[in-house]
Amino acid sequence: MNVLRNPARQVLRRSYTTARRPFVPPAQLNNVQRRTGGARRRRKRDEEEEDDVQWQGDFEKSSPPSPTFYTGRSEYYDQVILLQNAIVQARKSLKMLHLLPLPEFARNSLPTPFPIWKDLEEMSADFQSLMTRSRYRRVIKLLNELNGYFNIAKAANASEVKITIGSIIALFESGKKAASLAQRQKKTVSLDQYGRSYSVGKRKTSSARVWMIPVHAQPTSMKTQKGPSDYEGITTSTILVNNIPLVEYFPIPADRERIMRPFKVAGVVGAYNVFAIVRGGGTTGQSGALSHGIAKGLVIHEPKLTTVLRKAQLTRRDPRMVERKKTGLAKARKRYAWVKR
Amino acid sequence: MKMLLCDKCDSFRKLVSRRRFSTRALQQLNRLSILSLTSSRIVCHNILFQNRLLSFYREKESPSMLAGVARAGPSLLRQNVTEASPAIRQQRHVSRLTPFWKKKLDPKDIKRDAQGNIILKKKETSLGAFRPLNVAQLTHALFQSEERKALNLPTFAPTQQMIGKATEFPVINNDPSRIFGLPKKMLLEFRILSKPCSVVRTVTVSAAQMLDKARSKPSLDTRVVLTGRSGCGKSFLLLQLVQNCILNGWIVVYIPRAKKLVDSSTPYEYDLRTQTYLQPAFSLQTLQRLLAANQAKLTMLATQKKHSFEKREVPFGTNLVDLIGIAVKEPPLAPVILETLMTELSTQTKHPVLFAVDDFQALYCRTAYRDPHFVPIRPFHLSLPRMIMEYASGKKSFAKGAFVGAITTSDTQYKLPSELKDALDLPHEHFKTPYDKRSRTLMGYTTGLKALHVPEQLSLVEAASLYEVWKDDKALISSLHDEAFLSKYTESSGNARDFVWKGLLATFDS
Repeated sequence: MNVLRNPARQVLRRSYTTARRPFVPPAQLNNVQRRTGGARRRRKRDEEEEDDVQWQGDFEKSSPPSPTFYTGRSEYYDQVILLQNAIVQARKSLKMLHLLPLPEFARNSLPTPFPIWKDLEEMSADFQSLMTRSRYRRVIKLLNELNGYFNIAKAANASEVKITIGSIIALFESGKKAASLAQRQKKTVSLDQYGRSYSVGKRKTSSARVWMIPVHAQPTSMKTQKGPSDYEGITTSTILVNNIPLVEYFPIPADRERIMRPFKVAGVVGAYNVFAIVRGGGTTGQSGALSHGIAKGLVIHEPKLTTVLRKAQLTRRDPRMVERKKTGLAKARKRYAWVKR
Repeated sequence: MKMLLCDKCDSFRKLVSRRRFSTRALQQLNRLSILSLTSSRIVCHNILFQNRLLSFYREKESPSMLAGVARAGPSLLRQNVTEASPAIRQQRHVSRLTPFWKKKLDPKDIKRDAQGNIILKKKETSLGAFRPLNVAQLTHALFQSEERKALNLPTFAPTQQMIGKATEFPVINNDPSRIFGLPKKMLLEFRILSKPCSVVRTVTVSAAQMLDKARSKPSLDTRVVLTGRSGCGKSFLLLQLVQNCILNGWIVVYIPRAKKLVDSSTPYEYDLRTQTYLQPAFSLQTLQRLLAANQAKLTMLATQKKHSFEKREVPFGTNLVDLIGIAVKEPPLAPVILETLMTELSTQTKHPVLFAVDDFQALYCRTAYRDPHFVPIRPFHLSLPRMIMEYASGKKSFAKGAFVGAITTSDTQYKLPSELKDALDLPHEHFKTPYDKRSRTLMGYTTGLKALHVPEQLSLVEAASLYEVWKDDKALISSLHDEAFLSKYTESSGNARDFVWKGLLATFDS
């Protein structure tokens, strides 16, 4: 009798199908939301659910935690979107406060920021996603831009903007900041108790340890040599290399001139006595190392000489070293004779 | 006694010289020919046979053979020991006129002078000595400029006021630097400078004062050797003392290059009487120079004894100038006459005598001369070095005068020997051990020598005067004189030679 209640339906049913409805794996029936309410629906349901298919399970349909849920790297894109939004917001607020665009003079007067961001490993650990270099670079670029706006806000004392941006930036700042800053600060070198400077110079494979002390002009009462008064107050420097006078240690004039160059450039010829211990290399290397050491020593005595000596490239450690021999070549660059056959 | 070589021997010698066989073979031939002098035999070209003969005679050691040829033996380098036949001599001479790769001179083209000797065309072998052109000789309008000035320096005088000043030596007839010559490096320096000049230092004044005191004392009391680092100014100081003494009435004997006495550059021959090797050419040259430099003083002196040489007799009271004249006329007598002259000078008291020798240490080294047995000749077996060493050690002495020597530290062939280092109390290179060899004879020749240490560094004032000399001579590139001077002074650590040669003259800094 039931069979005939709905003849139309019966007609529509295909008698040759083995299953009245498609096979649904049981796991998929978990957390399927049941439709509630409606007698008609209930009736339909009853009719349809004559088979022992259990449509049970309670679930909660919720939206994904973030819009980037369906991307491969959700955390990374979260960061990027966060930063981009922050940048946009910051720009808007700064524009409203008339702090953007800044004129040239104001931009130049801003203090240079030295942000120390988390490095690759730190960021990967924090955000629990494997950070690649290109993605890291992108994040850093955004951070730097944001930091720029933070700098402006800080300089202009726009507290709200500053606090907001600051809180975002704080997420990305490295814990090793303090240590890094300390490392960056150059160790101040000073003279010892006798007024001597100690510096090290290097060239090729030679190294020179240089102690320099200013020469004090002899008082007139101590003068033993009688001479014209033109030479009063003129001091001469003595240079000892490995306890040997310069004239004996470096017989080649070119080496001697190389050593005198820092004094001549700085204009302090005859003002300092030099004692040096030089090791390694040959004559040119040793004279170059000594020159480097003397330049550094002069900078310690007279910090104002830094610019002059740097422009003359005397404080620069000459990076040129002997090039290695390569396979297939006779020497570093020399090739073997080309043979046609 | 002469000995004739057969034609074959001469041709053999030519062959040997052309093919450049070992000098040993040539020496052997020479030796053999010398040995056969006494027996006046004709040497055969068969050298093997001669070798056997030689060994036979050596074993026998017969006095007749070897009497005249003592262990030291006669000179190998004596000219015309063996005389070839006239025909061969002619051939040899003609062939020497042109080298073998050039066309041989036709005998018809040979020109002869009055005595029949062949007139050789003068070949220009060298460019000639460089002499600086005097400023006055530049007469072209192009050179007329206010900037061209001659160096104007005060005359040399070793006084306290002149310390630190550059001075020029006075131009006199008997200028010792012109007559006696100069050490090589000094000569080159004076050629570059427009005038020979030097700086008066503290040590100059003190050394001059020392010689003033020594004027009236025998040279036994004043035997000084100038010592110091290489390039500190020992030769210059010696020259200054020589100049000073010549101006003050001393008789000066100056040997600027004693190295030439021992490096076998002058001829030498064995003397039987003294059993030493004489150096006739050098002796003659020394006599001539002595005469030229001290003529006025020597004319006042005469011999105090009668001397007789081989064929000559020099009576008592002969003027010393005439004595030297004998040597000039008869060059082979030069060494003996030099010896005699020195003896006469050492006895006279009219003028003090300064015996100045540069390169002094070379006289105490092994000489480059060889005896016929190829054994190096010791310096005390050479007459002139022996004489110098005798005056240096006090074995001979001038009645009034002094001996001053200067060592050369930059010569690597004739390094300062350990005997001199001991005598002058100089530091040794290596740790002194009792096993170091020292020649007793040489040590005997170093007794009583005193070292006068020349300061290593020029003082600032002295260096400045030196700098100004080169500056005024337009030798410097740089116009920043203060900086250039101080930097070169520092680079050379005050060393005089390095200051000039490796500092001022070797720099491109402007």
